[in-house]
Amino acid sequence: MHASPLSWIAFGSALIAAAILVHYLVWRPKLTAQVKVTLIMGLGVLPIMTALIGNMEGLAATEHHAFCGSCHTMDRHLEDANDPDSISLAAIHSRNNKFGDKSCYVCHKDYGMFGYALTKIGGMGHVYYFLTEFMWMDMDEALPKIHIARPFKNENCMQCHTTTGFLWNGVVDHAGLLDDLRAGETSCVSAGCHGYAHPFSKPDEETPSEAEARATEELWKPEET
Amino acid sequence: MIKKRLEKWVETGSRSRILVYACVLGLIGLAFMVWSLFDQGWIPVMMAMSVGQVIGTLSLALFILVIVIDLQRATFRPSIPPEPPKPEDD
Repeated sequence: MHASPLSWIAFGSALIAAAILVHYLVWRPKLTAQVKVTLIMGLGVLPIMTALIGNMEGLAATEHHAFCGSCHTMDRHLEDANDPDSISLAAIHSRNNKFGDKSCYVCHKDYGMFGYALTKIGGMGHVYYFLTEFMWMDMDEALPKIHIARPFKNENCMQCHTTTGFLWNGVVDHAGLLDDLRAGETSCVSAGCHGYAHPFSKPDEETPSEAEARATEELWKPEET
Repeated sequence: MIKKRLEKWVETGSRSRILVYACVLGLIGLAFMVWSLFDQGWIPVMMAMSVGQVIGTLSLALFILVIVIDLQRATFRPSIPPEPPKPEDD
């Protein structure tokens, strides 16, 4: 259960509004000016406050792991992202504090000018597909059918991995493919490069071997002091 | 047709009955909104932002309707009585 201080304020507003409404329903006082003002609070001001805070909290909640994982079809994605032993890109990034429990959102959101709104509209597409197609499927049936709507943009990786750093450019493959990577013509998460972010969802396709992936992870571990 | 029925409903509608509907709808809307505050899965959040808010808006609209009915039935009187005519000077 998540409850921020703002949530408690919204809850308090809702409680007072509910008390006003129940009082009216039980006692049915004469509709005087005073009763009308009280009802404006119970039907207008306080519920609007609850709704506004609810919207803020609800939209914030959509950025968290738990929200993405609240559809059963995302169970394995969430399990993998939270697995401390997993070497998938999703899990490696989820272990990073900069992503933390918002790693789904940070990687998949649209970084353009209207990115927030477009990401939410995309989310409504997920709801549509879930309700019309995936809701009654079990995980084994759903997993092969789940796919990303559009190819993953390198721009999203480049929000952190800017492609300008000394270490990054020190990798021969990066330097050789620099223009292609910046143009999005070669995907960072293709099978020949870093592999799929959720490799368990593509069992039949080529992904880097565990040894390769572990070697990559070791390479970027901070030196112990 | 719909306009006439609505006008008739506004003319004859009982304010207290409309307010009962408004209060019940308000309580249902609030329940949806509060649910999403403490359970932030996709169902409560989506329900609060859609169904909950539509029901809440409807309850407020019914309350505003009661105010409109009140205003239509009210008889307005000037608050300051007119000054008595001054006696004419001869």
